Formats: sequence, C-alpha cells, structure tokens
Amino acid sequence: MAEEQESVLQLPPSTAPGGEGPTEVSPETATPETPSSAAVSPGTEEPAGDTKKKIDILLKAVGDTPIMKTKKWAVERTRTIQGLIDFIKKFLKLVASEQLFIYVNQSFAPSPDQEVGTLYECFGSDGKLVLHYCKSQAWG
Amino acid sequence: MTDDKDVLRDVWFGRIPTCFTLYQDEITEREAEPYYLLLPRVSYLTLVTDKVKKHFQKVMRQEDISEIWFEYEGTPLKWHYPIGLLFDLLASSSALPWNITVHFKSFPEKDLLHCPSKDVIEAHFMSCMKEADALKHKSQVINEMQKKDHKQLWMGLQNDRFDQFWAINRKLMEYPAEDNGFRYIPFRIYQTTTERPFIQKLFRPVAADGQLHTLGDLLKEVCPSAIAPEDGEKKNQVMIHGIEPMLETPLQWLSEHLSYPDNFLHISIIPQPTD
Repeated sequence: MAEEQESVLQLPPSTAPGGEGPTEVSPETATPETPSSAAVSPGTEEPAGDTKKKIDILLKAVGDTPIMKTKKWAVERTRTIQGLIDFIKKFLKLVASEQLFIYVNQSFAPSPDQEVGTLYECFGSDGKLVLHYCKSQAWG
Repeated sequence: MTDDKDVLRDVWFGRIPTCFTLYQDEITEREAEPYYLLLPRVSYLTLVTDKVKKHFQKVMRQEDISEIWFEYEGTPLKWHYPIGLLFDLLASSSALPWNITVHFKSFPEKDLLHCPSKDVIEAHFMSCMKEADALKHKSQVINEMQKKDHKQLWMGLQNDRFDQFWAINRKLMEYPAEDNGFRYIPFRIYQTTTERPFIQKLFRPVAADGQLHTLGDLLKEVCPSAIAPEDGEKKNQVMIHGIEPMLETPLQWLSEHLSYPDNFLHISIIPQPTD
C-alpha cells in the first residue's frame, strides 16, 4: 500500500500519488503489473477511475479506538478487507488476538475476503472510500 | 395461473440432494458411512450441516477433530456463499447427488473463512442484507427496522420459516411510488474462469428514459463476455437458482423475486454443457 506523503522507494512513476509505501509493510501476493500501469510518459494524465490500479481510502476511528496518524491511503483494488485489517492492526501496534472491525457507510461490515476495489466502485464518493474502524462492534 | 408470489416460495424451498463423504485420510475408529441430505439452496453450509458433523464425529476420536470444512472435487467450499450459488457455479453440470467431501483437519486458511459459531453466520448474513439495502434504499429501510425485525429475518432463515422471513423482507422489496424500482440493484456475478471473486457494480434498474433494464442489459454492461454475440454460438449459461432466466427479464423483477434471502442476486456464468 502506498502512503500519500512518503516516497521511500525509487520506483518507476506510478499512477498513484506518492509512489509505494514503506518497505516494512509486507505486500500481499502481488498482481503482476499490467502494461497500462507501467512507466507513464511526461504529460500523460492519470487514467480515469476505472483503470486506476489503486483507490483512495480514508480511515476514520470509532469510539476510543486509536487514531491512525496517516488517515489517507492509496490501496490496490485487489487488497482485501482482511489485508486492510492486518495492516491497520500492525500500524496501530495492536496484538494479533485483538479484534478490529471495518465498516462501510457506517452501516455494514464487509466480509474479510471482500476486495476494496469493489467497495470503492459501489460505495465510494468524492474519489475515495471512507471506512470506519473499531476495536468493538459499532454497527452490529 | 402462477402468481409471482409462487416464485418466492419456489426459490425459498429449492433443495439440492447431497451426499457427504468423509475424506479418506481422516482417522476413524470404524468405517464412516456417507450421509445423505437435502440442502436448502438459499441457506449456508455451516448453518444446515450439524447432522453431518454429528454423523462423522461419531466414528472419530475427539483429538482428531477440529473445524469442519467441505470440499467439492478439490475446491474448498466457501460457507459464506449461499449453497445454491456454490452448486450452480461448481457442480450443476454434473449428475446428482452433489458429492461433497467432509474434512476435519488441515483447514485451508487461504481459501476459507473460519466459522466458529452460528453467530458468525448471522453476522455475515445481516451484513449482506445491510449492504443490499445500502444499494436499494440508501440503508433507509433496514435502518428503520427494529432489532427484533432483524432477528426475525435471521430466525426465519435459520428455521426455514418462509412466512416469518417474508413478513419482514417484503418491506425491503418496496420502493417509493414515484420511482420505478430500487436505487441500485444488489447483484454479484461469479465465474470460475476468472481470478476475481465476483463482479459487483452500481447498476440502476431503470434507464433515464424510464425503460426497465433487463438481465441482458446488465450483462452487456458489466460482463459482456458472458453473452454470445448476436449470431454467435451460445458459450455460457447465465444461471440463478438453477435456472436460466430469459435475458429480456426486467432486472427489477429479478431482484424482487429471485434474490437470495440476503437480498442479493447471485448470478453464475458457467460454460454451456456439451451433451
């Protein structure tokens, strides 16, 4: 996953702002780079939402759950909710046994194997997907 | 003449004759007989297989038993997918009964979610319903319901009570008089030939000019490879609840009548069987 403000690795120009994130975040089984996301030549505009490999996620804490220092993330479409949960838990230094729930629209908790890209397509607004996270069940 | 409401009953009471066989490498104290069961298409594997579990655990030692999981021809079966969807997608072109293999060891962590209790199934089911209503009504209808109504939906499914379920679910099938349907149709399209788990997108049941969108319109838009070109040979079956609805069927009607209890249309695209 890419962090908006940092650009730790030198990578070929990607379509997402900021480039790849810190190396200690272990990537999931990566999907191979498709030709369309290879090095972008100068002056080329970022492709329309549909072909963008990464989507923007805004993470919001619920209740007394610790707040992420960085709230906005560019995440690959194929990243699952479980992958996101694992990442947030690591980032917040939560114990593996602690639970973390993620909600869409402050109303439903998507299945752990749900892809964030699909959620973005259906429930994203203003170019991003807002997800609420909580250590306890907030909305059932 | 068949009423539309009869369709709701036919969908609810659909059953798949299934034969459960214990995996040969499981350790047993005596021979395990296969177990036959009619599985409800609209339910979930871990919700309806208590008897299967009991049957096989009778011939096993406690220490050889951990979480039960099911597999068909080497493919682990996701309990959180409705039974009818799994069958249509993986086994509908094979002869009945559906032969499922039962495992109690080596849980495939990468393929399956754990199901430690019925509460997990309930939580998953309710979440799907909420997601469906988020698409249909911006969550307004489901949020207006009381906790006891949500409980009734779950109990109706768990106890195979059609009337109990539909007493509440009918509210989720309503829409404002001025509209011609839901805001967006909750659907998921599954194919075994692709890497992605399913296709789910925003799709309106009514076009700008007021015309009702059809199943064919949906497929053309989100999964064009599913339907054959005008003069081409039919390569695929588009299956819901074991049948191939006509592509001219209005999507709004399908959503109201052929959705699963979770209010989603789970659609399978499978290769046309060659017989």
